[in-house]
Amino acid sequence: MKRRQLLKVEGLMLRFGGLQVLNDLSLSVREGQIVGLIGPNGAGKTSCFNCLTGIYQPQGGRVFFDGRDVSHLPTHRRARLGMARTWQNLGVIDALTVTENVMLAQHQRAGYSALAGMLGLAGTWHRERELRRDAAEIIEYFGLEAVADERTGELPYGVRKTCDMAMALASDPKMLLLDEPASGLSPEEALGLADTLRELRDRLKLTILMIEHHVPLVAEVCDYVYVLNFGELLTEGEPAAIQRHPEVIAAYLGGTAEPTEPPEWPLQPEGAPHGTA
Amino acid sequence: MATATMVLTRVKVQRRFGLALRVTVVLALLVLAALPLLLGGDVWAQRISRAAIYAVIGLSINTLTGHAGQISLGHQAFVGIGAFAAAFMASRLGAPLGFGLAAAGVAGAFTAVVIGLVALRVTGLYLALVTLAFGLTAETTIFNWREFTGGGAGAFAPRPAVLASDHAFALLCLGVLGLVLYLDWRIVSTKTGRALAAVRNNERIASTLGVNVTGYKLAAFSLSGLIAGLAGGLFAHWNQIVQAMDFEFQVALVWVLMTVVGGLRSRLGVILASAFFALLPLTLPNFLSSLPWQPPFLNEAVYHVLPPFIVVVMLLVVLRFFPGGFGQLLRPATDWLAGKRKQ
Ligand SMILES: Nc1ncnc2c1ncn2[C@@H]1O[C@H](COP(=O)(O)OP(=O)(O)OP(=O)(O)O)[C@@H](O)[C@H]1O
Ligand SMILES: [Mg+2]
Repeated sequence: MKRRQLLKVEGLMLRFGGLQVLNDLSLSVREGQIVGLIGPNGAGKTSCFNCLTGIYQPQGGRVFFDGRDVSHLPTHRRARLGMARTWQNLGVIDALTVTENVMLAQHQRAGYSALAGMLGLAGTWHRERELRRDAAEIIEYFGLEAVADERTGELPYGVRKTCDMAMALASDPKMLLLDEPASGLSPEEALGLADTLRELRDRLKLTILMIEHHVPLVAEVCDYVYVLNFGELLTEGEPAAIQRHPEVIAAYLGGTAEPTEPPEWPLQPEGAPHGTA
Repeated sequence: MATATMVLTRVKVQRRFGLALRVTVVLALLVLAALPLLLGGDVWAQRISRAAIYAVIGLSINTLTGHAGQISLGHQAFVGIGAFAAAFMASRLGAPLGFGLAAAGVAGAFTAVVIGLVALRVTGLYLALVTLAFGLTAETTIFNWREFTGGGAGAFAPRPAVLASDHAFALLCLGVLGLVLYLDWRIVSTKTGRALAAVRNNERIASTLGVNVTGYKLAAFSLSGLIAGLAGGLFAHWNQIVQAMDFEFQVALVWVLMTVVGGLRSRLGVILASAFFALLPLTLPNFLSSLPWQPPFLNEAVYHVLPPFIVVVMLLVVLRFFPGGFGQLLRPATDWLAGKRKQ
């Protein structure tokens, strides 16, 4: 049985001045899938996420989420429909503690209006306590208890990255958009992430679209992969097929592909510095 | 086992003792603060009212700048419109004071939302310039609109009989201050405070977390305007007459800078700095004339520009040595009083 499409993108066109960042990009993600979006630096992957979440307004194309055309919805409305994302350069608010950041991410499910909270109406105190308890649970799941009351700005990169992930989950989303979740992690940590992602999909019924350079991780968890190059879709398919695709190899190495080359992943070496979004 | 229990009991007793001590200290400070009102006579009652009104204005700026990260150099417009609205209600319509204050708040909020709509388009320096220009324009147009403000002669804002005494009026001002403090506390303790922190730090992140950035910015402007208008209404009845010259640009400058000197997002810091600058123009002339040596350049005009000068100097000191303002200096004490233990 084919599962429903949760996210569908048709003919995305994005230009900045003379630079065509996305050219007629179409892709779709079915419910319960983990889909990879790969491509060389500057291919337009993060820009694609920015179009999906409404940070960028593309010049053309449509975005459907959960059966609705969200192309013209502002970012926060899309978030409320269940789209959560992490950021390549981290989506944590440095001035807040880990707990506060996670509680910030619970914004849309706080269950009381800003005015009610401000006036201190009866239900709001109780809800705040519940939110704090939920946040503590999420923080524990990600092993952040020890730093729960530290400002994220003062924490090491890896911890802030985990906090970003915790925040994406705290909003209780249908879909996670992860921008390079493994960057900055050690190879072992990256493979540990594979288990986490699968667990999120299976236990929380989450659908995941993930930008990633770390090849073993993509090969390990993705059901399907889209390859982006210069803003255009180079190819798509199952990870194993992508791995052998001559054009993919060419795009990554910047030369002509040797079809006889061993089926080793030609993607970026681990730990290579990535640009920021 | 026994030792563990003993240790636990001792910790518990210490905590209880600590709590009792903290409550005592807070009560003692409150009593100390109330002494001038109880023993000081009318002059002190008037001063306390003025300090409370300034503190309300400081908290209004804190809402906008401290919480939402937006700047306003035109706050005298919000306060002034509130003051004239209250005076108009009292002297022209003979409305009860409550209605007058409500009208003052609504007028301030309405004006601030108009500015907020502009703030959605421009940020930072440009927003500062827009609000500055707006304040200056309001000063020369709205505040000189004869039917509304009585022109140069000013508008009267008589107090009702119950609030005729300076002591009763001081209690009203302190009551409003208490209300605004409560609002501020609830803001930072709920999702509103977290959302505003996100808006202040990174609008993109805020919006992907489901925060309506536009809505929160406008809400911050309207709330700030409401509080400023309310302060204006209190000011009108404090002075019992309102004139356009009460709301010149330099007071707005002092208000913004005193809030930063007090410490953005520090309630106690803002209150202390506000009280200081509220009392400065009242006490400075006396203080200077009592000095054994009188600098020859001291005169009325100089008194007039001294507060902005002093606040700028204090700002430089603060920015250099304790960027969190008075609030940062007070933090060890306030943390202890709030029962926060060291990390
Ligand atoms: N706001 C912007 N203004 C101008 N150009 C932009 C903007 N955002 C992205 N670009 C350009 O679009 C191109 C694609 O950038 P994008 O960040 O989407 O790449 P990416 O695939 O995420 O790369 P990386 O792997 O380095 O993260 C780049 O050339 C970038 O300079
Ligand atoms: Mg990127």
